[in-house]
Amino acid sequence: MNLKSFSILFLWLSCSLYSYSTQLPDTLYINSGLLQTYNGSSINYSCFNDSDVFEKSNKVLSYFVSDTVSLTIINNDQVPHQFTLDGLGISSQLLIPGGQETVLIHSTSLGTFIYHDSENFPNHKIIGLAGMLVFRNEDYSSFYWNLKEIDTVWVNDISQNNIVSTSYNPKFFLINGNHNPNINEDSLARVTGNVGDTIIIHVANTGNSIHSIHFHGYHLKMTQSSEHPNYEGRIKDTFPINPMEVMTLEMVPHQPGEYPVHDHNLIAVTGANIYPNGMFLTMLISP
Amino acid sequence: MLLISFIGHGQQTVNHQLIARNLGEKTMHDGVILRTFGFAQSFSEQPPIPGPTLYANEGDSVTLDLFNVSQGAPHTIHLHGLDVNQENDGVPHLSFEVHHMEHGYYFFVAPHPGTYFYHCHVVSTIHVQAGMYGVFIVKPSDGSNTTWEGGFEYEQDKLYTMSEMDPLWHEDSVMEHPHDTTQSVHEVFVPEYHPSYFLVNGMSEQELLNPDIAFQSAKEQVSLLRMANIGYLANRVAFPTELNAKIISTDGRPIESPEISDTLWLSPGERYGVLVEPNVDLIDSITISYINMNSLVTENTQYIPVNVSGTNGLIEDEDNKTFKLYPNPSRNRFHLKSIGVIYDGVKIYDAMGRLLQTVNIENTSLGNIEVKSDLPAGVYTVEVILDEHVLDSIKWINQ
Repeated sequence: MNLKSFSILFLWLSCSLYSYSTQLPDTLYINSGLLQTYNGSSINYSCFNDSDVFEKSNKVLSYFVSDTVSLTIINNDQVPHQFTLDGLGISSQLLIPGGQETVLIHSTSLGTFIYHDSENFPNHKIIGLAGMLVFRNEDYSSFYWNLKEIDTVWVNDISQNNIVSTSYNPKFFLINGNHNPNINEDSLARVTGNVGDTIIIHVANTGNSIHSIHFHGYHLKMTQSSEHPNYEGRIKDTFPINPMEVMTLEMVPHQPGEYPVHDHNLIAVTGANIYPNGMFLTMLISP
Repeated sequence: MLLISFIGHGQQTVNHQLIARNLGEKTMHDGVILRTFGFAQSFSEQPPIPGPTLYANEGDSVTLDLFNVSQGAPHTIHLHGLDVNQENDGVPHLSFEVHHMEHGYYFFVAPHPGTYFYHCHVVSTIHVQAGMYGVFIVKPSDGSNTTWEGGFEYEQDKLYTMSEMDPLWHEDSVMEHPHDTTQSVHEVFVPEYHPSYFLVNGMSEQELLNPDIAFQSAKEQVSLLRMANIGYLANRVAFPTELNAKIISTDGRPIESPEISDTLWLSPGERYGVLVEPNVDLIDSITISYINMNSLVTENTQYIPVNVSGTNGLIEDEDNKTFKLYPNPSRNRFHLKSIGVIYDGVKIYDAMGRLLQTVNIENTSLGNIEVKSDLPAGVYTVEVILDEHVLDSIKWINQ
């Protein structure tokens, strides 16, 4: 082998290895199951999960901005579904029960996105099928909040193919499928860090309500808003977020302590006559 | 109750006392009386809703003395947006709560100029609805009418705090909730929320015609509107286009690129600073819609009267007028000067045409008189009288 041939072989191997290393495989299973609410009732619910076992929260997909993701979606449910990733123009074909499809996902910039079931939208979203996908920077700590509320009347009507005839009136308010105080046990959601750290919080509202997230102790900078890009750069302590909106918030804590973050629609910090419940968690910042 | 002492370099120590009460009463616009919780500044007054507006200048050392005389649940003060340390944050299980007949003291240094809230954080869903909230305004270190150091100058500011009330939530069965101080979570009865009173500064419907509420301005006068939402519904605020509204700040921080818009969205807990500078005479209203956060349905609309007339300085053209009223706008007094015409009285009317004050001049005047008035801020009509005949009619803005 002469030098020229060796160089070509080396280049081919390098490209192949590079392509292989950046084709990050991942899988989402569409599952249905019973969701136990904390007032003792249970409802039919669906989620995008990490395995074929039903879990009450949608998987958080988090990648580095340089990654190209090969995402396989498997419909483990009894009805058709369709995977759609808002903001990046990616959608699967309609997936029949037992069907699957692989899509390639790549982003050249940091950001928070919503993936959801676009079949029978928004009904399938209301019965649970919406999660968040993030392209992040490896330099910073990242946390993930998928905001969602549950109106059990709506979920039951939709899952039984009944016409929804009531005004949307949710009683359960969740972050990543959890409510206070259990949210603090979710390491993806509970913000921890040190004074001076740059902390990134990715927020997606996959529910039907508007939420108004108030931070104690700190002001944060909004670095991304899918609905209001002209608001990017604003420094605030309270961030309204509309249904199907995503935003990315940057926080550099100036003081240590344990501080709450909660929806300032104070109805959303209750549940089953418990206060605080719902969308209420704390951040823990060390000196 | 406010005490101020100087500590040098323009910074002061500012002491406020708030008295927490559990047995307040508020008469609504339709005569219905609701039980309230609230913050008062004396024992002789009903706790106002919203609570008293508190002030400090940037850099001031502030002490809040919360005196709980409630005979009920403990209370706290959460300093919403003021980014105080954990000990002073007012969240019971993370700082401290103040029990009946106890004082609790909160210490902080006033941060960036802007509009903030204070409210109780004990079972906050119940206690905020009950009325335990108010606004804390931080002005620049020199106390000037400037939005922040190097920011926009304004001649007057008006605060509009939006909230709602659901009568069911003001019944004893809800307000007398159990409270176990050893627990960080509490089982309380939280009714469905169906407010029937939609408030601006605690008032609604015809109460908003009160000159204290109305936005009154001269042409080309720059005003800062402090818009704040402490309710459980969102607000969509529509300003008359002629006000030339510019959204300049939010949550106590400047907006880098101010937004020129006649519409403002305010979610619960948010505050915005809006500069307005009308350029025409105007009688109109600021429209506040109250929007359900779940159904997104507009549940109610309230209207803040807007009255723009005259220009800064003398409202009327002084070269062509027989009577001159100055300074205008002014506060609680003005001078009236006649150019060669005698008169023997002055009558002051409000925007509804109600006679509020009569000044009789013992010796018929040809010259300059000073009229003092303790009327609240607002736009008034001043009539100049001789023998019960109206000689002239002049608009006066009492700031």
